[in-house]
Amino acid sequence: MADLLPTQYELDVPDLSLIPAEPPDSILYQHKVKMRTAVRTLWDHREIIYTLAERDFRAQYKQATLGVMWAVLSPVATLVIFVAVFSRVKQFPTQGIPYALYAFVGIMCWNFFASSLGNGGNSLLSNKALLAKTQFPRECFPLETMLVNALNTVISFIPLALLFVIFGRAPAVATLWVPLFMLIEVLFAAGLTLAVSSTIIQMRDLQQVLPIIISLGIFVTPVIWPFSFIPTKFHLFGGTHLAHHWVGGITVNLQVVYGLFNPLGPVIASIRQTMLLGQAPSWAPLIAAVVGACGYLFFGYRIFKRFEVNFADIA
Amino acid sequence: MPTLPDGSIRVEHVWKKFRSDKTVPLFYEQMVRLRRSVGTRGKSGYRWVLKDVNFDVQPGESMALIGVNGSGKTTLLKILSQVTFQSAGSCTVQGRIGALLSVTSGLHPDLSGRENVFLYGAVLGMGRADIRRKFDTIVEFAELTDAIDRQVKFYSMGMQMRLGFSIAAFLEPDVLLVDEVLAVGDANFQQKCLQRIGEIVREGTTLLYVSHDLASVEASCDRAVWLSDSMVRAQGPTAEVVTMYRTAVEQHSALLTTKEGTVEVLKAELRATDGGQLRSECEAEVHLTLKAPEEVMAGFYLGISQGTAFPMFVIDHQTTMPAGEFEVVCKLGYLPLPKGHYSLWTAITGHPRGTKDPYLPWQPLLSFEAFGPDRMDPPEGVMALSPVYVGAQWQIH
Repeated sequence: MADLLPTQYELDVPDLSLIPAEPPDSILYQHKVKMRTAVRTLWDHREIIYTLAERDFRAQYKQATLGVMWAVLSPVATLVIFVAVFSRVKQFPTQGIPYALYAFVGIMCWNFFASSLGNGGNSLLSNKALLAKTQFPRECFPLETMLVNALNTVISFIPLALLFVIFGRAPAVATLWVPLFMLIEVLFAAGLTLAVSSTIIQMRDLQQVLPIIISLGIFVTPVIWPFSFIPTKFHLFGGTHLAHHWVGGITVNLQVVYGLFNPLGPVIASIRQTMLLGQAPSWAPLIAAVVGACGYLFFGYRIFKRFEVNFADIA
Repeated sequence: MPTLPDGSIRVEHVWKKFRSDKTVPLFYEQMVRLRRSVGTRGKSGYRWVLKDVNFDVQPGESMALIGVNGSGKTTLLKILSQVTFQSAGSCTVQGRIGALLSVTSGLHPDLSGRENVFLYGAVLGMGRADIRRKFDTIVEFAELTDAIDRQVKFYSMGMQMRLGFSIAAFLEPDVLLVDEVLAVGDANFQQKCLQRIGEIVREGTTLLYVSHDLASVEASCDRAVWLSDSMVRAQGPTAEVVTMYRTAVEQHSALLTTKEGTVEVLKAELRATDGGQLRSECEAEVHLTLKAPEEVMAGFYLGISQGTAFPMFVIDHQTTMPAGEFEVVCKLGYLPLPKGHYSLWTAITGHPRGTKDPYLPWQPLLSFEAFGPDRMDPPEGVMALSPVYVGAQWQIH
């Protein structure tokens, strides 16, 4: 190779006065990334996501005396608090399911979502050093954080199993549906996390607001209350009002509308319906949730790719 | 557009702007940007850090980027490695990029050296199987065999740097971008790094190297690009570009002399004793005509430099400085300089040294050409920083 190279180079001293004050409009750089290319590049770099997740997971427990034991111990501690508190507190109607079990399912889903959004949203800022010095796709950071949280969620299935044992129950056969519901949640969480993490860099105020929004979210989502509180038939207009009821007219399934905006609602409801009650999930809200989650992911990824152009400059 | 062969770099009319230091809320700026992309272009506060940068690098070449702090070198490397994006122009790097923009930023302090090899390797773009295969070589090169299972936060800065560099040194990319990474680390390891970089280049990897250490630039690169005030001032053979850069730096550093001394320089001259040209190994004389306000004990210093404020050698003489106008003659028995362009520097300080403000602060007096044989190049990958000894006789009239 080296023999083919020219050994002499000419000294070139450009005339600086020829350089205009601004670049011509024709060469301005437009950052356009095709979704397909972006996804393919991300797939090529999937090993980095595993490696970074492994880094965080190891570092999390590195210096603790009990080490990885904590991954199991902390959900168990949550569980103890749960059983203790909810056996005394006013309970929502749960169709005969022990309330601790009922609520734990919701809390588990919520924890994954909240920690994904909380840690993932800040992941670009907390990985600032790497962000400004390395070149792999930026979405690896939020996704990597989500993977760590997913791992912690999987571990919290251990206390869930303990709860089943404590209450002398067994999960229904319909539990086989659960991975599908989890997938919907993952898509939703990923979309929102991508959007939030890229926006936080542009607008740091969001970093302060995010925890507040998340702590409000737990009450807006059917985590401790049943999804059935949301009416399936909400009267809009028309019809006649007879004895406190509307007859005829246009009604709307609010569960579907809710599922579109917050896919987490139908997801938690469906997990309870299948795993705890052994019923089939109610399809309409669930399909709305799928559509909603895909929408969140698509637009979240678009926003992320749009903003990524100046991450390294302003992080 | 025809695709370039692997390992080539093409930079065409690259511009990059940074937001100005007056901070507008970032989100507001984004909104403006979005609106501008639809409608007319508004002008908000920004400054250009790269202006119309052009160059080409062929596969297997080694190119240096030099320039003072803030001239845009690192920004250019970041654009090439797609860590950030240019504002205008196009920039193509063909093949696998290995970007070593910082040696230690990828290391996690809580993890052990072993875990960090896998982490940093992956971050730099190596597959796990690949790292496992090269693991022993990397650890051996870093000289960390005994410390590899220790947490990295207990490593010294030098050890962290060695670990980081060693991982990057075995990346085997088509294009290697290296940014000022040898600043830490002891002399032996620096030497080892330069040799490794030389090896990598010989294996056919394209190298783009940023450094302030001109000796290491000369040791490892065929070509150089000099960036100054966001623009390319010159590009071409390393030696010529480096000389231009040095001259500019020298002129600049002369202006940086802040304190005026009390001694005035009326005339300064350097000439060969036999009246001919200044040649390598010839006998030479420095003639200075000075004017001092009072008679004091003083230290006279003379030095010769090439392109820096740091002289290659200094000769000094402690004596009584007379009041009024006087002449200093310093005979150099032997001018130990190869062909080139040099500067003569001088200073007059209080005696003993450091007791008072200097009577004449360290400053360049004149520059001169020396004729003679070319500088002899050291072996490849070796930095030449040769100490020189010069015998001298002093006279004060």
